[in-house]
Amino acid sequence: MSTQATMLRRKLENLEQMPTIPTVLAPLLRYLEQPLDRLEVQQVVDLISQDKSLAAQCLYLANSPLFGRWQTVDTVRNAVIALGLQRMRDIAVSCSVLALLPQGKTGIDPVVFWEHSLGCALVCRQFAHKIAYEDPGKAYLAGLLHDIGIVAHLWIVPTEFASSLQAASFQHIPLHEAELRILGTTHCETGKLVAERWHLTPDLIAAAGCHHDAASATHDRALVALVSLSDLLCRMCGLGYGYNEQRQINFLEEPGFAMLAAECPSLESFDWARFTFELEAYIEEVHRLVSLVYRPQ
Amino acid sequence: MSSPSPSLYRAADTGGSPNPSLIQIRDLVYRVAGIFQPDNKLRLLEDRCSKRMEVLGVTALRDYYDCLTVKPIRQAEMVALLNEITIGETCFFRNQPQLDALRDVVLTRILEARSKLPVRNLRLWSAGCSTGEEPYTLSMMLLEETNARLKGWNFEILATDLNERSIAHAKHGIYGDYSTRNIPQYYRQKYFMARGEGLQVVPDVKAKVNFNRVNLLDAARIAFMKGVDLVLCCNVLIYFDVSSKRQVIQHFYNNLLPHGYLFLGHSESLYGVSDDFRLVHLPSATAYVKTEKRQVAPQVKL
Repeated sequence: MSTQATMLRRKLENLEQMPTIPTVLAPLLRYLEQPLDRLEVQQVVDLISQDKSLAAQCLYLANSPLFGRWQTVDTVRNAVIALGLQRMRDIAVSCSVLALLPQGKTGIDPVVFWEHSLGCALVCRQFAHKIAYEDPGKAYLAGLLHDIGIVAHLWIVPTEFASSLQAASFQHIPLHEAELRILGTTHCETGKLVAERWHLTPDLIAAAGCHHDAASATHDRALVALVSLSDLLCRMCGLGYGYNEQRQINFLEEPGFAMLAAECPSLESFDWARFTFELEAYIEEVHRLVSLVYRPQ
Repeated sequence: MSSPSPSLYRAADTGGSPNPSLIQIRDLVYRVAGIFQPDNKLRLLEDRCSKRMEVLGVTALRDYYDCLTVKPIRQAEMVALLNEITIGETCFFRNQPQLDALRDVVLTRILEARSKLPVRNLRLWSAGCSTGEEPYTLSMMLLEETNARLKGWNFEILATDLNERSIAHAKHGIYGDYSTRNIPQYYRQKYFMARGEGLQVVPDVKAKVNFNRVNLLDAARIAFMKGVDLVLCCNVLIYFDVSSKRQVIQHFYNNLLPHGYLFLGHSESLYGVSDDFRLVHLPSATAYVKTEKRQVAPQVKL
């Protein structure tokens, strides 16, 4: 590793500059880890309502058909009742991470970044349902947080990250390849550090750390593979980082495919074409949703 | 029936969940014809069904679904609905993401594979070319490359259709506003000339396209179209039954070179129809590439 890369790594390992998730989120996630019969709706409502901005954003998302709603909900309590606790957890985490990007001009258009993250989360969840993956809710969270390393790059090495994105966009190559050349590390490595620092669960750490090299995952391999394939599909379908990667992908030959098929046999006969066509509707809705929810301060 | 419209999208502007019969029709069309209407196009599908329902005097989507499945008219009605779904799709530069992917990714790969062969010649086939907008678009795109990546190369575009009148129109090469609505200004100025109220394709573009009336099921005729690098067959296979579809796909397979590509229409799929081709994803587009298998001899009737 070059001297510059070593210095960058040290900076990244020292993540103080980066904000953490909202204070209300950790207790909320911890509370929702309990068995269902011990959970009380009011407790969840109270937790979310503590953060007014979070509560307002949750209502925006709760009223989106992307979260299965067809009729308006106007209070956090109604949203929790109508959508269920798991969906509200997904929504609360989505809204929380939206606040993590640095303000002002950054190396990436925040709208593009959140469209990719939210889009990937939704694709992960829908993909999980379709291939009977055991935990679509977990797939959603893993998709939402998979690029958390990019947020860290924006805080800690903004100039170098901007150069990486520029190079990737100019050469139409995957972002992590440009990062490796310019930063000497990737948003996966950084994402792993951030996820560990936030004490996320080991499966979410693995998804953030290995989604560009699914084969390197030593545990939770199916989840990592699912995120890896969903992320790639989003990038190939125009929900990437604001540029096209000029490449040809056969999903059946991706390392993640065999890993995921080992746990979800129905993947062998999965209709990739139809799923891809379905994304057209997701993308339109994700654009609308992010423009509604994301308001730079 | 698929899950209720992946529970993701409301039927546009209706404020409610989509009509289950509409989802059934969407799924039926995909199963029978291989063309998919995503959730954000459900309103459009509903409009198109409404047009057919008016003709048939049917008022409920549920009854229209019966017209497509159990009534004796079902086959003819499916064709009529497909005509509605694909109406107005014939124009220059119809599917820009597909054309971009072809130029930016596929052409590079084809040239790499072709450069290992002795002759520097590309052959593209627009199968079901209708009135010629698609092959002429390809011709213009490749002409743009002749001073760059295609320097020292020759290319030809085979353009076939079953309809004699369409072929005559295509050879004439004069088009009205509707067909020419998507042509970028640069191409409009460089490759068209005003002719009456329309635009005519210039001779250089025409010279690269070879039009013929061909039935895609006619093995004897198709056997003459060997050595093709890429087939574009948009919104044509949707009208064939499964057995005919497989026959046509086999013809494409036999005529394509080992590195060959098959491009279908927007939201059109070969799922469940053929294992001869593998789906590949390109930037904002999909295509099919040949799988490696033994070439099957065409059944030529003597």
